[in-house]
Amino acid sequence: MSILLDEGQQAIATESRRVLEARSDKGRLLGLLEQVGACDAVFRDTAVEQGWTALAIAEEHGGLGLGLIELGLVAQAAGGVIAGAPFLTVGYGAARVLAEAGSAEVQAAWLPRLASGEATATVAFAEGNAPLPPRPTTTFAGGRLTGVKEGVVAGLAADIAVVWATSAGEPALVLVELSAATRNPVDGFDNSRLYADLAFAEAPATLLAQGDAARALALDVLARMAVVTAHEQTGGAEAMLTIARDYAVTRKAFGQPIGAFQSVKHRIAELYGLVEIARANCIHAAALADAPGGAAGFLLAAADARISATEAYDTAARDCVQIHGGIGVTWEQGLHLHMRRARSLAIEQGNLLFWEDLLVDHLTGEVA
Amino acid sequence: MSDYEAFRARARTWLQSVAGEFGREARRGLDVEQDLALGRRYLAARFDAGFAGINWPTGMGGQGLTHIEKVIFDTEEMGFGMPTAYFGISLGMPVPILMRFCEDKAFVKERVLKALRGEEIWCQLFSEPAGGSDLAGLRTRAEVDGNGWKLNGQKVWTSWAQYCDYGVIVARTDPTVPKHKGLTYYWVDMKAPGVEVRPIKLAGGDSHVNEVFFDDVRLEDSQRMSPVGGGFAVAMATLMIERYVATDSGGFGPHLDLFVDLARDVEVNGRPAIEDGRVRSQIARNHAMRAGLESITTRAMLMMQAGMEPGPEGSLNKLVAVRSRQKLSELAIDLQGNAGLAFDPHASQKENWTASWLNAPTGRIAGGADEMLLNTIAERILGLPQDHRPDKGVPFNQIPA
Repeated sequence: MSILLDEGQQAIATESRRVLEARSDKGRLLGLLEQVGACDAVFRDTAVEQGWTALAIAEEHGGLGLGLIELGLVAQAAGGVIAGAPFLTVGYGAARVLAEAGSAEVQAAWLPRLASGEATATVAFAEGNAPLPPRPTTTFAGGRLTGVKEGVVAGLAADIAVVWATSAGEPALVLVELSAATRNPVDGFDNSRLYADLAFAEAPATLLAQGDAARALALDVLARMAVVTAHEQTGGAEAMLTIARDYAVTRKAFGQPIGAFQSVKHRIAELYGLVEIARANCIHAAALADAPGGAAGFLLAAADARISATEAYDTAARDCVQIHGGIGVTWEQGLHLHMRRARSLAIEQGNLLFWEDLLVDHLTGEVA
Repeated sequence: MSDYEAFRARARTWLQSVAGEFGREARRGLDVEQDLALGRRYLAARFDAGFAGINWPTGMGGQGLTHIEKVIFDTEEMGFGMPTAYFGISLGMPVPILMRFCEDKAFVKERVLKALRGEEIWCQLFSEPAGGSDLAGLRTRAEVDGNGWKLNGQKVWTSWAQYCDYGVIVARTDPTVPKHKGLTYYWVDMKAPGVEVRPIKLAGGDSHVNEVFFDDVRLEDSQRMSPVGGGFAVAMATLMIERYVATDSGGFGPHLDLFVDLARDVEVNGRPAIEDGRVRSQIARNHAMRAGLESITTRAMLMMQAGMEPGPEGSLNKLVAVRSRQKLSELAIDLQGNAGLAFDPHASQKENWTASWLNAPTGRIAGGADEMLLNTIAERILGLPQDHRPDKGVPFNQIPA
């Protein structure tokens, strides 16, 4: 199992970080918070230009044929600069479903366009507060989809969605073009994620998988997206750790840097522990996802990554603001951008409650 | 199969073949003296089987293999509950330091062979009532006495000193210079006249640590293992000697599986504990923490095998795992309600939640308190400022007591 990065992977990590740091702009991100429906166009263009949208799509479909490890490294860099990266995560998830369950015709129609960035895709699994409801109320019958999916990530911008629905009493994965849906923007605390409630009323749709096959594929894809998200969270947590550390060595109080006070110093050292544990779990999960015979342990590893990364980012954001004191809560300083992103990522691809339960179900053998 | 995997398989086969004689079940109900005697026999058997001193030179009775084989063996051995605790410090620090710094090679070889076979045990005499985390604050003094030295003072928290034949010790030889500069490193015969060992009973009821008193104990100059005044560097070398050792993400307490079993067996307010969200959340978070630590260790091993230097994140193990074990043990006792009030003082802290809980604080203090580890991470890894040290550069005898 390759949990040591090779040279190509190291290069992706370094280069994506360099490019994103050069092109990130706090003012632009702050501006996005105050509007609904706008995304970080600079990031989207960069993702397309750098080939990130093509990264994990097979070469035969116009992609680069790499995997979750490489995508994870880019996601970590994106998380570090709070980039509006929903396309990477849900785009990957949707492409994965199409590659696994789409007909040759569906694959030819969409995968090359997703790889080139000409089209974007999302995944709509959740209903209400359930990330992957056992019996979705959205229904598919006679080539038509009906129902509502709340808070779909990138739902305001995507061209297509892979939807978790019920078909003939069984769960199903369905492909739908969002031009046939009603999109209601969600005005939220992290607007650059482009959340939308998607309403389908007899929208023309294509069945991709049904029954046990659909259930297994949906869970695998949700876990893969969770691992990408965990990378993004780890990148964000690491950025918070670095920002807290840099502030603590420069800001002085009582005649010395505040980082010399153990109350501050130890708080930052604790963040280091959370970040490294999350990173280790991310690397392990990403390596397991594409390893031969790794499927059995992958769901557990994905849950480990998701749980530790969620804890790391929330804690790092919370503590970094605290260490900054008053300046840390100002709009201009922008630490709230990380605070917001830590919370939005904690919900996307299944909340902590979902992953904790899934992990324990696995430990006790209660998973079908 | 790689050489490492072949080595692991060979180690496991041998360990399984002797587990009945020396392992967890064989030790049940033994008192400390009996267990130690069993441990000595185990070490002799381990030596004869070719698994002693794995990464030590063959000329010293070792196997001449790498640190990786050593960690592989230790990791495999840990699962069998063999009686090795008495020899952990001895073979971990003092004996390797003796090999490196003592010049009388014939003497060294005899000691090393006896230590590897469990016939002799060494202790490490560092901590003092006035100098624990602040190692250089120690007050035990060695004064020139003819062509040797005269040792006076007290050490504390010395593991297994009551069973030890020899020890390594740091003493102050010059109180007129700053504290780090006036220390000298020696080995000491624990049976010499003037050495007195008094066991300390710990919270859990056991007495594996001791106070050790030195009253005009005679040291030959050949027992000195550092330049006069150069003892602190050797002490640091002792502490740094093996950065990556076999680790246990469970913090040397029970495995998480035992907690899951408990949660399935008991009820909380009429419902199975395993269905209680509070319990599930703790299981999940504990699992994620352990998995992270295990992944860090695996990655470090792979890096060493590839000839690379592992990252500093290996230092997180003890800090994170023991605290987590302490909290999980509390919850395990909670889950048992009134039935959790019973306590068996002979129970293993790796199998019994109460024993694990009662002994957990030791793990958070010994070998560097949590706060010292946090300081090390903050200062060495993250580059944060050092703590305020008012005694810096001040001659030891002018530091206000």
